[in-house]
Amino acid sequence: MVLAKSPIEDAYDNARRYLDEEKIRSALQEASDFGASYAEVRLVSITDSSVATRDGQLERAIPGQEVGATMRVLANGAWGVHSTTDIESIPSQVESTVRLAKAVAERRSSKDKPVSLADVPIIEDSVHWIPEKDVRVTELEEKLDLLNVLYENSKDDKKIASVICGWHDEHIHTEFMSSEGMNRVWSFQRSLINATVTARDGSDVVSYRTRHGGEGGLELIEQCDLATLGSDAKTSAIRLLKAERSPSGKLPLVADRDLTGVYIHEALGHPCEADLVAAGDSCLDGKLGQKIGNDIVTVIDDPTIRGGYGAHPIDDEGLDTKEKCLIKNGVLTDYLNHRESAHHFGIEPNAGARAQDGLHHPLVRMSNTLIKGGTHNDLDELIEDIEYGVYACGSRGGQVDTGRGSFQFAAQEAWLIENGSITTPLKDVSVSGLTLQILKDVDGLTTDSRLAAPGFCGKGQTVPVGDGGPIMRIKEALVG
Amino acid sequence: MLPDDALDRLVDGSNQIANLCRQNKIEQWEIIAMQSYGHQLDIEAGKISLAAGGGEGGYGIRVIEDGKFGYAHLVDLKSADNAIKQALSIARISPSIKGFSLPSSQETEEVKGLFDKRILSVGPEELLQQADSILSEVSSLDKRAVVTGGGLGVSATAGVLTSSEGIDHHGITTSHGLGVQVSIDENDQLTSSWQGESSKKLIDKVPNCIASSVDWAQKTRDPIKVDSGAEDLPVLMTSEGLGSLFSIVVSSAIRGERLTRMESFWSGKQGEQVLANDLTLIDNARMEGGSSSSSRDGEGVPTQRQVIVDSGKLVGSLWSTRDSAKLVAEGKIDKASTTGSASRGGHQSPPVTTCSNLELISSSKSSSIDELLERMDSGYIVNSVMGAHTANPTSGDFSVTTSSILRVQEGEVIGAIKQAGLSGNMAKALTKDVFLGDDVRVSGGSMHIPDILLMQGLRVNPI
Repeated sequence: MVLAKSPIEDAYDNARRYLDEEKIRSALQEASDFGASYAEVRLVSITDSSVATRDGQLERAIPGQEVGATMRVLANGAWGVHSTTDIESIPSQVESTVRLAKAVAERRSSKDKPVSLADVPIIEDSVHWIPEKDVRVTELEEKLDLLNVLYENSKDDKKIASVICGWHDEHIHTEFMSSEGMNRVWSFQRSLINATVTARDGSDVVSYRTRHGGEGGLELIEQCDLATLGSDAKTSAIRLLKAERSPSGKLPLVADRDLTGVYIHEALGHPCEADLVAAGDSCLDGKLGQKIGNDIVTVIDDPTIRGGYGAHPIDDEGLDTKEKCLIKNGVLTDYLNHRESAHHFGIEPNAGARAQDGLHHPLVRMSNTLIKGGTHNDLDELIEDIEYGVYACGSRGGQVDTGRGSFQFAAQEAWLIENGSITTPLKDVSVSGLTLQILKDVDGLTTDSRLAAPGFCGKGQTVPVGDGGPIMRIKEALVG
Repeated sequence: MLPDDALDRLVDGSNQIANLCRQNKIEQWEIIAMQSYGHQLDIEAGKISLAAGGGEGGYGIRVIEDGKFGYAHLVDLKSADNAIKQALSIARISPSIKGFSLPSSQETEEVKGLFDKRILSVGPEELLQQADSILSEVSSLDKRAVVTGGGLGVSATAGVLTSSEGIDHHGITTSHGLGVQVSIDENDQLTSSWQGESSKKLIDKVPNCIASSVDWAQKTRDPIKVDSGAEDLPVLMTSEGLGSLFSIVVSSAIRGERLTRMESFWSGKQGEQVLANDLTLIDNARMEGGSSSSSRDGEGVPTQRQVIVDSGKLVGSLWSTRDSAKLVAEGKIDKASTTGSASRGGHQSPPVTTCSNLELISSSKSSSIDELLERMDSGYIVNSVMGAHTANPTSGDFSVTTSSILRVQEGEVIGAIKQAGLSGNMAKALTKDVFLGDDVRVSGGSMHIPDILLMQGLRVNPI
């Protein structure tokens, strides 16, 4: 047995270990014996629960208990990976996984740099971020009560056609052991509540989505003013029914903190991921130390911001997470990296490795990404000298072509700015631009920077992220 | 790749859970068990960066009592009893749906082309050789071209669906997929293109998408400047350019529940003209070798080829057992029944109504690219868009960006545009003056569409 315990045994005991340490140590040693220069096993057990209601009625509630593990070996400068839900199969796959890595290595030409890993401290410990109210012991009825508050406050208008509310919570438990002697266990929780409000007037139909959540337990949802969250979503949905089509063209843009977060995530965060830079797929290749943005732009990525949806104590290579400053006063100061890319660029590892779950290998990923605050006091100050522009709020998501450095993101709702005032509501506003241009065009930021609504980021694997910042003004952006 | 006893293990695990359901005296139960195995290679910076293999899977349990349902999923069979009890406790506080019960077993013919034995014997070495061939092909087509990202993989999935109502199906499907991002970075100018292909059968040659990827990375170089500002012009969307938008906007609009709840831009339009009158939209789960084909849906109901829009008129919609019973019980619709359109994302999710393989066909003669360009006269060709997922499936509105766009004047391509905004309403753009190309390809997951010329309804805003 490689599993020392079944994931359901002692389910709420944070000190428990699923992996049999001796068996895994032996497997890691075996990998070394077969010629691996490095090997690791990472097990992730996720206890989660999803709930959905439609118009106040329970639609579905799904509790789950999943466990998966990934063994990664580095041999002759190339990676071999084995991922499985059959944890007990890991020792039997060591030799074939090393062989896989060697087969990849054989295809490298002499000019290809073999994969090496940056040195990191070797740590043996356990880190548990304990929530105030553990989601694993939260009754379904409690979740339904909270969802009902959101529903009741978002449905109350004859133009509201439907309200779909959702809940997701998860307890993530990770065990990490490596051939270098790393032996760490960590756990934390995430909680999320959301609503999609659909409004209809004749043949016009629109929807508005709202979310609240982050790293933590039930307390995160209880602390949220769900009544206002629901009521605001209702108001926005109804307003969208009367909203006009967005003007198209290059216009001054003011973005609320939700959109500011998505903007910095797409436009800068992704091109800053060192695995993409190393692959030749980033417009920021070779730009470390160069001025790429306006002086007022300072950007951090910080997984240690407790409560942020992208918060986590340890990255998926076993490194303590920390704040990374990506841009300081317009100068590109760092890439987000993992051990491989840190070594590739000869920079300090900054614990940017994340995997979707136990069945995926770690990639360089963002966590909580923010633009720091500026000097403008409020929205009014930012828009007072804009003759004609757009104020865009809330995110419907975004995408980036990191190589070309072009990006797009969409707002949930927007308004025209005319002669320093917010006027006509707009719908289906999207913004696009070029990273290396638009960072220079950020010319105003309010003082108060903080994380906005939680989000998800896809890069072949999906991970929760927090994005945010202050309210931001861009001199000129392509609005459509 | 697939252990010889993979299916037997799943059947055995399902039987263990079924016995526990019986011991718990559950009125109706349904167990899904899935286990996938596969090999995968990642490509970065022109070389294979990683080789991976493994397997994953688990069990999902749906229980029903008095029209109330509960669900739970698990990996470790030791937690099955706990999962059943969780599902039961959820069912007991769920609202009852009058008339909702699990479907019983029905005979159907098996859909062909969903399993290729050759894939089972594909090992890492064969995949590595295929990756070598792809990298060589790209290099031979253009020395400057580099595969900066992508990968390829094969997998086999064993699945079992068993229920208290006599459903007992099991089988194995296979798949082979690849995708590459080809970039040309020269003279401070980087252009790139992503293309991919997947099949239930072994892809034993370097597919056309590889050459297409190089081609688009080449022809989007040296962009011209267009100072027209935003213009409403005809746009020829390639299958690859339209697929993602079409998938997000159209596939949700034809779900029966959304149509009935007035959450679709086609709500209230049954029998009315919703597409150009030569267009027919078919949801075809029985397509041989289709990526979303299956003999039975996620509830074990036989699938079908269903006409959704016939000569422009909305005539059909997609339903699962639960959705149909629920909407009838709520009095939202007089009559509805499953169309065999329930699918599962895996063992972790209960069945939900989704489209399968969507086909858009025309009764008019299809056209070659040259004929489409001649008809367009002036406009654009778009081969991929960024932000398709931000489209509004409720209204059909979208506003996306493209860096894979060519300017056309007097029927001739005159050059690429560096970047442009593309906006409009998909539902409206498909209502008239829609012309289909003659080369149907699969894009956006399971959209079987050709290149499509949309003469109206789209706005292009070049940078």
